[in-house]
This record gives sequence, C-alpha cells and structure tokens, in this order.
Amino acid sequence: MSGGPIEDDRTLVERVADRPGPALPWLGAGLVLLALEFGRFLGWALSLGAGLRFAFDGIVAIPGWVGGNVADTAGSLAGFLAQDLTALVVLFVVASVLVRLAPWRIVDRLELGWSRKREAYAERLAVTAVLAAVASALAFTPAGSILRFELEVAAWLLESVAASIPTLTSPETIPNQGHRTPGGGWEGTFLGLSPAVAWAIRTAVVFAYALACLVWAWSGYDRYRRHYRQADWTPRDDTVRRLRNHYWGLFGLTIVIGFVVLALWAPAISPVPAEANIYQPYEHEFEYLGEDGEVASITHGAANINTRSDGQHTVAPLSYDQYDRFAPLGTTPRGQDLLTNLAFGARTSLIIGLTAIGLGAFIAVVLSLLTAYYKGVADVLTVVASDTIISIPAFLLVMLISVIFSEGNHPLADPLDGGLLLALVFAFVFWPGMWRAIRGPSLQVAEQEWVDAAKSYGQRPTTTMRKHMSPYIAGYIMIYASLLLGSVIIFTAALTFLGLGISPPTPEWGRLIDQGQPYIATSSWHVATISGLMIVLVVTAFNALGDALRDAIDPEADVGEGEETGGATTGGGV
Amino acid sequence: MSQERLSADRPTTTDEVMVEVRELKTYYEGGGLFGGTPVKAVDGVSFDIHRGETLGLVGESGCGKTTLGRTLIQLEDATAGEVRFDGVDVTTLRGDELYEWRRNAQMVFQDPDSSLNDRLTVGEIVREPLDVHERGSPEERRRRVRELLDAVGLRPEHYYRYPHQFSGGQRQRIGIARTLSLEPEFVVLDEPVSALDVSVQAEIINLLEDLQAEFGLTYLFIAHDLSVVRHICDRVAVMYLGHIMEIGPTEELFTDPANPYTHALLSAIPEPDPTNDRERITLHGTPPNPRYPPSGCPFSTRCPARIRPDRYENLDDELWTAINTLREVLRERQRAERSVRERLRARLGKETRFGAIEETREELFGDLELPPEVRTAIDEVIDHAADHDERRALARLAEEFGSVCDGEGTPAEPELHAVGEGGRRSFCHRHADGYREPDRVLDARQ
Repeated sequence: MSGGPIEDDRTLVERVADRPGPALPWLGAGLVLLALEFGRFLGWALSLGAGLRFAFDGIVAIPGWVGGNVADTAGSLAGFLAQDLTALVVLFVVASVLVRLAPWRIVDRLELGWSRKREAYAERLAVTAVLAAVASALAFTPAGSILRFELEVAAWLLESVAASIPTLTSPETIPNQGHRTPGGGWEGTFLGLSPAVAWAIRTAVVFAYALACLVWAWSGYDRYRRHYRQADWTPRDDTVRRLRNHYWGLFGLTIVIGFVVLALWAPAISPVPAEANIYQPYEHEFEYLGEDGEVASITHGAANINTRSDGQHTVAPLSYDQYDRFAPLGTTPRGQDLLTNLAFGARTSLIIGLTAIGLGAFIAVVLSLLTAYYKGVADVLTVVASDTIISIPAFLLVMLISVIFSEGNHPLADPLDGGLLLALVFAFVFWPGMWRAIRGPSLQVAEQEWVDAAKSYGQRPTTTMRKHMSPYIAGYIMIYASLLLGSVIIFTAALTFLGLGISPPTPEWGRLIDQGQPYIATSSWHVATISGLMIVLVVTAFNALGDALRDAIDPEADVGEGEETGGATTGGGV
Repeated sequence: MSQERLSADRPTTTDEVMVEVRELKTYYEGGGLFGGTPVKAVDGVSFDIHRGETLGLVGESGCGKTTLGRTLIQLEDATAGEVRFDGVDVTTLRGDELYEWRRNAQMVFQDPDSSLNDRLTVGEIVREPLDVHERGSPEERRRRVRELLDAVGLRPEHYYRYPHQFSGGQRQRIGIARTLSLEPEFVVLDEPVSALDVSVQAEIINLLEDLQAEFGLTYLFIAHDLSVVRHICDRVAVMYLGHIMEIGPTEELFTDPANPYTHALLSAIPEPDPTNDRERITLHGTPPNPRYPPSGCPFSTRCPARIRPDRYENLDDELWTAINTLREVLRERQRAERSVRERLRARLGKETRFGAIEETREELFGDLELPPEVRTAIDEVIDHAADHDERRALARLAEEFGSVCDGEGTPAEPELHAVGEGGRRSFCHRHADGYREPDRVLDARQ
C-alpha cells in the first residue's frame, strides 16, 4: 500500500503512470516475448476467429432451420413467420448481451422517467431493432456479401502475415528435417546438426519460452501486488500462499502446464509436420539419402508404409527410421510419428476438455445460482432434469447421442472429426454432476446475511448472484472442473478406443492405444505404453491440481503444511 | 447500569406516527409443494412506531421478533395485514416503488460474520448501496464512504481492507456504515450486539445512540438482552409466539409490568440487590410449536396467572402444572398421525407408542394428592385418551379445568387492553372486567 487516502482514488492506469518504475521493465519484457512468437499468437487468434465464425454461422442458421421445420409441417407462410420470429428472438438475446457489456447506458442519458424495468426492456428492444436493421441490410443488399468478402480478404492477409513472420519456435527457424549427405554430414537441418539435436533444441526452446511466459506472468502479479494494489492484503493472497506450499498440487500443475504447452506448441514439438505426416501423407514429399548414395525423394505416405511399428518391424523411441526421419517416441503401427500424434492428440483432448467443461460448468453455475436464489419451482425442475440425465449411464448416453449425430451427418459432427460434437455431448452429460456438486455451497451462500442485505437495499438479483454468491462457488466449480477434465480425457480416449469417438485422421490418444494394443508384447510395445502412461499422468495431474485447489481455497485446510488430505471429493476416472 | 443514566433525557421523540403496523401476519409455508400447515411466525400484531423513537422488541428466541423486523423492511412477504410508512402500505409495493422505498428502511444484521461479504473490500461493501441507487459520481461515492467510515469510528484508510482483518465490533461498525449509506429514516437493528463481547457491546450501543441523534433515525431495536433494551429504548414491545403481549414506555413497563409474560420475563433478570426478596417466576415447559399455536391466549399453556375455574382456584400449583402438561401431551397426540401399522397394533392389543398414556398419568400425577372431583375428571380424560379419542379427552379437560384463557369465550384471543398512564397496552384476559389483575394474582399464587 503506497499512499494516503487521496492517492487511493486513482485508477490502476493512473497509479502505474505516476510510478512507472516497476511496470516498465515488465511491459518491455512482455513486448519482447510477444515479438518472439508473434506469428504463432496471430495464428492462435486466427483459429479462435475461425471457431467464432463457426459459432456465428451456426447461430445465423438457427432461424432458417426453425423456419424450414415449421414450413414442412405448417406451410410456407408459417415457416416465414417462424423464421422471422426466431431471428428476432436471437437478435434480442444478442442485444441483451450487448447492453450488459456496454460501459454506459443510453436510457440514463435520455432521462425518460420510466420505471427501471421498462427502461431496461426499451433499451434492449431498441438495440434489437438496430441489429435487425443491420442484419437485414446485410442479408438483402450486396453490403452483406461485400462485407463477407472484405473479412475473408482480411483473414487471408493476416494468415499470410502469420505465415511469413519468423517466429522463434517455428520449424522454419530451427529446422530438423533434412537428409544425410553422401559426405556424412546433414543438409537442411539447423546449423547442420543432426535432426535429433535440432529437434531437441527446438523443444527445449519451446519449454524455455513457456517458462519465461510463466515467470513473466508471475512477476506481473507480484509487481502489481507490491507496488500498485490498493489493498495490502486480500483473501486471494492466502489462497496463493497455500497453493505454493502444496507440493502434490504443484506437481499436478507442472504436468498440466506441460500438457497445455504440448497442445499449444504441437507444430513446434512435432518432429514432422502433422499436415504432411498424418493428414495429407501422399501430397507431401521429403528427401532422403537412398541406399545407392543418391538423394531421392518420397512421399510421407509411401515412406510410412515401411516405417510401421507393428511387431515385425519397429521404429523404437529415440531412433531414426530408414528414411532418416527422427522419431523421438518411435512410430505408430501405421508408420506415422508417435510424438506428432501425441502432440496433436493433446490438442484434440484439450479442445474437447475445455469446451465440454467450460460449457458444462457454465450451465451448472448459472443453474445453481438461480436455484439457490429463487428455490421453489425452479429448483424442482432442475432437480428433475438433472436426475433424468444422471439416471442414464453416462457412457451409454454419450455413445447414444454421438452415434445419432454422426450417423445423421449433422454439421456439428464435422469439426475435429466429431470432437466438437463429443465436447457438446460431454457438456450435456456432465453439467448435472457439477450442478449437484456445487448445489450445497450455493444454497449455503444464499442463506448468508449479506445476500439479505443486498436485497434490503434493492440490489438486482442478477448482480447479487454475480457479486455476492458466485465468488463463493467459483472455488468449488474449479475443483470439480479440473477433476472432471481428467474424466473427459479418459472418456474421449475410451470412446475412440472403441472406435466411436473421434474418427481418423484427427489424432487422438485413445486411438493410439487401440492401435498399439495388439503389439504390447512385441518389440513395438512403445505405442500403447507411452500413450497409456501419458493419459495416466495427465489425468493424475488434473486430479492433483483439483486437490490442491480445494485445499488452497478452503481456509479450514490451513492448519498445517503437508497435511494429508482425505478424498472428500474424488473424481476423475470412469 | 445506573438509574441516573436511565432517567437521563433521551433524544426528543415526536408523537408523529411513522410506521403503523396493523394485523400483520407472516407465515412460513411448510416446505413441500402442497403447502401444509404454515409456521405462524408473526400472527397478527398491531403497533405504531413514532418518528425519532427507539422501540425495543424483546422476547425469547423463536418468538418471531426477527421475522417481524424482516417483514417491516420487506425482506419477508407479509401474509396479511398492513405496514404503513407515512401512510403508504409497503406490503403492496412492487418493482420500482419498492426499490425507491427501500432506501428509507434499512437493517443492521445480527451476525457480523455473516452480514459482510468477505470477498469485497470495506469500501466496496459500504459503497454498494450507493452504487445500486446511483447516488452521485464515483468520486462523490468514495468520499461519502470515507465520511461514513469516519462517522462509525473507523479510519478512512480502512477503505481497501477486507472484513477478515477486523474484529467483531469493527465488522459491526462496517455493517452500520453500510446501513447508513442511503440515509434511511428507519433502521431495524436485529440483535446488533448479541454476537459481540460485552466490552464491545457498550461501544456499539453508544455509537448507535450517537448516530440516532446525529441523523434523526428511528430504530426498531430487536434484542433478548433486557438490560440493553432498558438502556436504549423509549418504548418496548414484548413478543411471545407471534403476538405482542405488552407494549409501552420502557420505564413504566419495566417497573410495573402488566402482562404475566412480561412479569415472567423481567423476573429472569438477575437482581444485583441481595436484599430484594422478589421471587423468580419459573415458566414450565417450552413455548408451543408456532405451527400449532394454542387457541385463546398464546401464553395460556405456560401462564402463571392463568384464569382458573372458580371451584379450582385454590388447587395446588403443582397440580395445575401437571394438568397443563397433560393438555400439551394430549394436543401433541392429537396432532400426530397414527400409521396404519400402529392402528393395527392397537387393534391387536399390542403396545404402541401412543399406548403409554397410563404411564404419563403416573408420571404427572403419581406423587400428587388429588381431590376426589379432580381425580374423577382426570380419570375420565385418561380413559378417553386410552381409547385414542384425544378430541374428547381434550374437550373433557377443557370442560373441567378450562377458562377464557384457553379460548373458551368469545373472542377467543384476549384484547390489547390499555393499562398504565403512558398509553401502555397489554394482551391479557385478566385486564377485562371481572378478573383480578395479573400482578395481584401472581403475588397471591406465589
């Protein structure tokens, strides 16, 4: 805490501007980190944009879909009406969100003298009207297609920029793909080193960079806490302190961070590009030094046939195949690189896990707040709904829904070869469990007198729930989410193992186990073993992290250090 | 607490009525989807609160005083009746009108641990009502919060501290600052000091008095600590089982209580004077279940001055206690539903959990000497009860030992009779014509 009462009223930006000493080096370091990997960050932003666009297209398609269904049964006029009505409802929802997000409100400026509720609805309706006008302008005039074209050009420009900017960890900066020269050296690799060493350097750089990012973030928090925060102590400080001393949790956190880095930097950690090795193996060629001493070229697909690890032949971990491609973890029974599969499989698992748990946790939190605050009928309905879902065996339900959608060739089943569909199904199956888990704490916090106090001075119910109830549930939902994330990874792997979840070519850990499982007793033992160990490790790590979060958030756990905590909340696993 | 202090002048109280409560009822629906018998937490109370005064509300735990306070500021929905603030019935307010009105009536909560959100800073907590009602610019709000912190005896730099860093008394000060932020006229103090150390209690009480003088506040002071009430309140209302038993000026009520319940309550205050030979009135049993209050006077089941039939006026007190207990047992048995299995067991002549009425009789009347006519009556009652006909048993009991207190007369409930000089009222049948006053009866029976 730096100053007296007068200084305290400054905003964070003002406080930093008044005393930039500690902040400037930190900001500079941030800029350097950003510049080193700018191309990759841009790539991530573009993928995120593509995801948003998919969601946007999906929402845009809703009115047409509803209208089409109504038109099929009730005639085309009803269909048009239903379509327009749905479109307006969708726009109204969007308008409500926009009004919420806006920093100031139009009606406050107008001073209409209406009631609060009336003003709020009038504002939303006005924004809906504006949106509807814009939407119809885009849909029925050339403006829409012009805008779409412009956006596509912009995206294409950004993509080419992202591809052309040199980034620290890209395989172009530190290449490891090259071929032996007849003279005994290497051609095309980083500084002429062997592919193994080049790959090792690149991987080390990736993890060093990730570590630097973490250090940078922690230092930012620390600087904020020491130099700029107005409160000299917050309850969060204790949570962080407890987490820092929780070694089992730190172990979990380390593995989880490693897993996330593996997923985010999958193209950098893979020794061969996934596009060439997995997705389009017959479209990409590479060069190698043939038996006859000539440099020849071959497609990845053709080469993979000869590098299979299927019991008879094996490309073991940390070895080169006969085409001089380095395989840090060996190859799969289909001859692909195992590490590339694992890295991109981690990406698949992470996307599915985060989408499923994010969506499920969101539903669970919203419902638990509503049911705890209003109780009564809302509560009963939610209990019935969640009990209905829980009463069907989860695994069966997941299989059922995913088979229906993928057999019906639903557009949702396309992204990630069924991965997105799986994530949505998991969200649907897992929210009741999470809701149940946080129901007790929600009901408890709803009984606190500060909730009554908020009501007594007229606070809005939604604000009361957000400000006075949700912080107390956030801890619990984080714990259960991290435990369930492990379950989702296992579930996905199990389904893919059974051939149901994610279809090839999207890499998935469960499929690796499935493929490697017949060769476990042969020289190709590594395929199923390494993938299986990875799953065990990651799921254990998520459980450890959940454990640590629980101990860190619960002040009553603050009795002694290294105290053994019982399994009050067990999770993960099928 | 010295007598000089008590008689000291209080802030001037006007006679202008600020809050009029009329026949207010707050029932809690009994769980489940299909209703059931509601808990009658507040069961028809009427009183006025004058502008600028402190009205104390005392009673045992569970008598409904907190519910009454919460209903007054619309934290609970009234089941029936009116709460008129300056002539406006606030139980009918909805939406914006309620939101606008809420700033006028605020509450200080009992438990300082539970009334402050630990995840917000003190500044954010005190500021929230100002944000909700959009008072002034952000800078003005922050300045106002600092003024309020100063007014309740905290330091302005506590703005960025968290409630965790404060003691119970300081936390209660934060709660008081939040209560005052909207400049309410009326404040409900729900046992504001009962969770605090005795040494801190006095500080908070003095703070509340100072704030009342400074801001011209009207208090409803809910408490079970009678000495605190006597110190701070201008008038006192005594509550029992959802009813106001007696209401009137503090000193008058404390020195010359009219209602038997007030007598009993006051006699529970420890007397510092060892020469005082006032005898303590012990109440038997526990308050009745508010889901099934007795007909007639709510206090009739435990009243030491209960009106008795003339021919039994001089029966032994212990015997009366036993008879009262018997009535409670019968009422309890009447309410309990007998399962099919239990009916079958009774039909087969086996022991049921209801079969033990003989034992009850033995327990209650075993070592008492019963006059012949009492014995005959009790025997008949027990016989009916043994036949599982609790209704007839109760009717017989009422016929023999009942009185106007048990709801025999019309109206069944007593009226609020005016007693004393200061506009005091007491809820007791004994104030009606033809009965002796409670204090004389109590003296006689002791």
